Amino acid sequence: MEKPDTLPKHFMEKVAHYGESKVAIRQKDLGIWQEYTWQDSCEQVRNLTLGLVALGLERGDKISIVGDNDRQYIWADLAIMAAGGVTVGIFTDANPSEMEYVIVHSESRFAFAKDQEQCDKHLEIKENIPNIQKVIYWEPRGMWNYDDPWLISYDEVSRLGVQLHEQQPHLFDELVAKGAGDDLANLCYTSGTTGLPKGAMLTHDIFLSAVETFHLLEPRQDTDNVLSFTPLAWIAEHTLAVTPHVMYGVIVNFPEAPETIQQNIREIAPDFLFYPSRLWENLTAIIQVRINDSAWINRFLYKLFLPIGYKVADLRYEKKPASPWLTFLYWLGEFFVFRPLRGQLGLTKIRTAITAGASLSPDMLRFFRALGINLKQVYSSTETAAAGTQHRDDDVKFASVGTPLPNIEFKISTDGEILVGGKNIFTGYYKNEEATALSLSVDEKGTRWFHTGDAGYIDDDGHLIYLDRVKDMITLSSGDKYSPQYLEGRLKFSPYIQHAMAIGAEDKEYVTTLINIDFDNVGRWAEKKGITYTTFLDLSQKQEVYRLIQEDVERVNSSLPPGARIRKFVLMHKEFDADEAEMTRTRKLRRGLLAERYQEIIDAMYDGREECKVSAVVRYRDGRTSSIETMVHIASLESEENPA
Amino acid sequence: MSKDPIHLNVDNISLSFGGTQALMNVSFEVERGEILAIIGPNGAGKTSTLNCISGFYRPDRGSISYEGQDITKTPTHKIARLGIARTFQNIALYTGLSTLDNLMAARHVQMRSGMLACMLYWGFAHREDIEHRRVVEEIIDFLEIEHIRKAVVGALPHGLRKRVELGRALALEPNLLLLDEPMTGMNLEEKEDMARFILDIHELKNTTIVLIEHDMGLVMDIADRIVVLDFGSKIAEGAPEEIRNNPAVIQAYLGQEY
Repeated sequence: MEKPDTLPKHFMEKVAHYGESKVAIRQKDLGIWQEYTWQDSCEQVRNLTLGLVALGLERGDKISIVGDNDRQYIWADLAIMAAGGVTVGIFTDANPSEMEYVIVHSESRFAFAKDQEQCDKHLEIKENIPNIQKVIYWEPRGMWNYDDPWLISYDEVSRLGVQLHEQQPHLFDELVAKGAGDDLANLCYTSGTTGLPKGAMLTHDIFLSAVETFHLLEPRQDTDNVLSFTPLAWIAEHTLAVTPHVMYGVIVNFPEAPETIQQNIREIAPDFLFYPSRLWENLTAIIQVRINDSAWINRFLYKLFLPIGYKVADLRYEKKPASPWLTFLYWLGEFFVFRPLRGQLGLTKIRTAITAGASLSPDMLRFFRALGINLKQVYSSTETAAAGTQHRDDDVKFASVGTPLPNIEFKISTDGEILVGGKNIFTGYYKNEEATALSLSVDEKGTRWFHTGDAGYIDDDGHLIYLDRVKDMITLSSGDKYSPQYLEGRLKFSPYIQHAMAIGAEDKEYVTTLINIDFDNVGRWAEKKGITYTTFLDLSQKQEVYRLIQEDVERVNSSLPPGARIRKFVLMHKEFDADEAEMTRTRKLRRGLLAERYQEIIDAMYDGREECKVSAVVRYRDGRTSSIETMVHIASLESEENPA
Repeated sequence: MSKDPIHLNVDNISLSFGGTQALMNVSFEVERGEILAIIGPNGAGKTSTLNCISGFYRPDRGSISYEGQDITKTPTHKIARLGIARTFQNIALYTGLSTLDNLMAARHVQMRSGMLACMLYWGFAHREDIEHRRVVEEIIDFLEIEHIRKAVVGALPHGLRKRVELGRALALEPNLLLLDEPMTGMNLEEKEDMARFILDIHELKNTTIVLIEHDMGLVMDIADRIVVLDFGSKIAEGAPEEIRNNPAVIQAYLGQEY
């Protein structure tokens, strides 16, 4: 049989294959995980599809949809596509005017809106969205007294579908058969931090190839469970839940309510888990708190075995084997601590845990890996249908975002911009040729390339390192580019560095950095090493401390191209202080002011001095001022190209 | 069931504690399917009125009838069986039990199985338990407290406990719901949620609701009619708009000078 080329065709193939015999979707309702077989799903999708057709849906029509992750959402999504329509997802927290923009821009003809809250938003902008013929809701609660004929319930649409099916029993199959791989499946509006949202056009082919590439790396199976909880308006949920569901029969589970996600994860124990990095960070905090609240025996075992977990994770990271003794200890730790802890978090069956969004600190990656959670960084975007790079099991680099997935190519443009090419690349922004021209190109072989606007480079091992947005990169007088934010962020991953300010602009030849040590952590480290110190100033200028920080700087440098590396740094004699206006109250550096105030030190880093005399005015709380005068040491890092 | 539009009739009740006259000749009627708010300054006798209706207090004089039946001297547990449920100003839940158990406890009024059958948990007792659990789960779904289903009530924040208590009252499947300050100590968002729940209960099941509330804005928004008490006497009764402009009410609330 021919390989299906659309999502609905894949869906019908699974229905034919599994029918009543296998669960397709689960959702917890009234405290019980309710199961829906492929046959149940098929009836829902068929009735809804025909219901939409009965309402007047035609091929190519756009249908917006807004609501929490529910079984009805996925059925609606499949029904829209089966009828030849295009799904336009809207985030549940969108305000009416944002909704209006997407609905008007996409020219949607129908709108799915989960409940009273979302219906109210549609009613509020009803005058401005005449293109919407019906608003279909699937949660009847609170809708009892709405008599606007513009609104129609999901069940009512399904009833229309049942009638049409009786009249034309083959219509549904015909509609599905009409679909083609290059039909538009989804218009995914990107959140748009700058300017208005843009609708990335994604075809069936794009979704299928994006999911296939993940599958080639880590096969999806029909016994796999995923919990669908990240917004379905977001591309990731389509590539990690909806499409694998229809392609490989992955079981999709929906949470009972947004508040119960944590509990539901534990009940389902998903095989794949996708969290934005922020959620992983929250999870570490939760683990810490729970351990501290736990019985003494738990705390004791945790403290005993966590270092062993770290050791084994580090060895794996360095690709070295663990000694039999360590392996034995780790096995004990697995038995007493790690497995029960993973059980608490619902991560017992997890095969791949993914983090996306802002990069997660190496400490956190190490922490999860020590607990036996195979956490990997992914780099992708809406325009690449969420497929891009991913860490491999045996090849994780903390500084990188991984290596390209199968069938996806990466290259770096002459401007240092990351370009992604492959079958999974979008076909343009809907009704926005200007933006499309900037972001999309097609090479002579017909491959689409997405111009990400991100700066980065590919290292010797083929890993992609993401730096920053291209527009935030700074060019040095040498012509090299670097990202202050990347440098500072990476430096601050060190527990010994509190703040860092990277220096270097068009008039500077190389990058230098002002660093604030973390007084508590460095102080503790010094005590352990038997290094005596008195004040912050004293500690910051110790040779040993310089060497300690230098290791961190070198570690950051090792992930950077030579021209963008930090050549010199200074450990500041005093902490940057919000009281002195050196930082904002939210702890953001005031760069201009700092550069002016520490001009002398900065100059010294560029004119070859090894020390610099500083006098800083200290303002006491009672208004008195005094000045401190001291010498700060300037550390130089030798590099092969540039021996200092 | 009688088709009498009058659901509850409070007829001339008086109540005193020693020398303190808590209620003096208070009369009002509650119509079927309405939301009636009782308002008044502190110590006006609002909670005493509610306590008389639910059987906690017995009025010294006067009578209360529900569905045409005199309930003045009916004990509380029988009143609960008649379909009158209430919540308390200072939350009266089993703090050591979970949300689910608190709600299930309310269903015991309607359980028919004997003790032995319940212990064996077989046949009818089993089916009955499942049926009650379903009702309770629907309430949990309705009040959006799924995430605290298994949480011990004592550890919950105030706003959620209030919601659990409302849930327990709903578990009795009442025809008349008495709410004693359901929104005290809540922030604006919690208050709005609670108001939404009250309106939804009213819309969905056409439950008659009598509530005591201090937040005037909310009372004006959700009540069909308002009864105003001051120093144990009824000083006004009517639609929110009338009450807002009633000089006696303004005086009771804001003092003589206004």
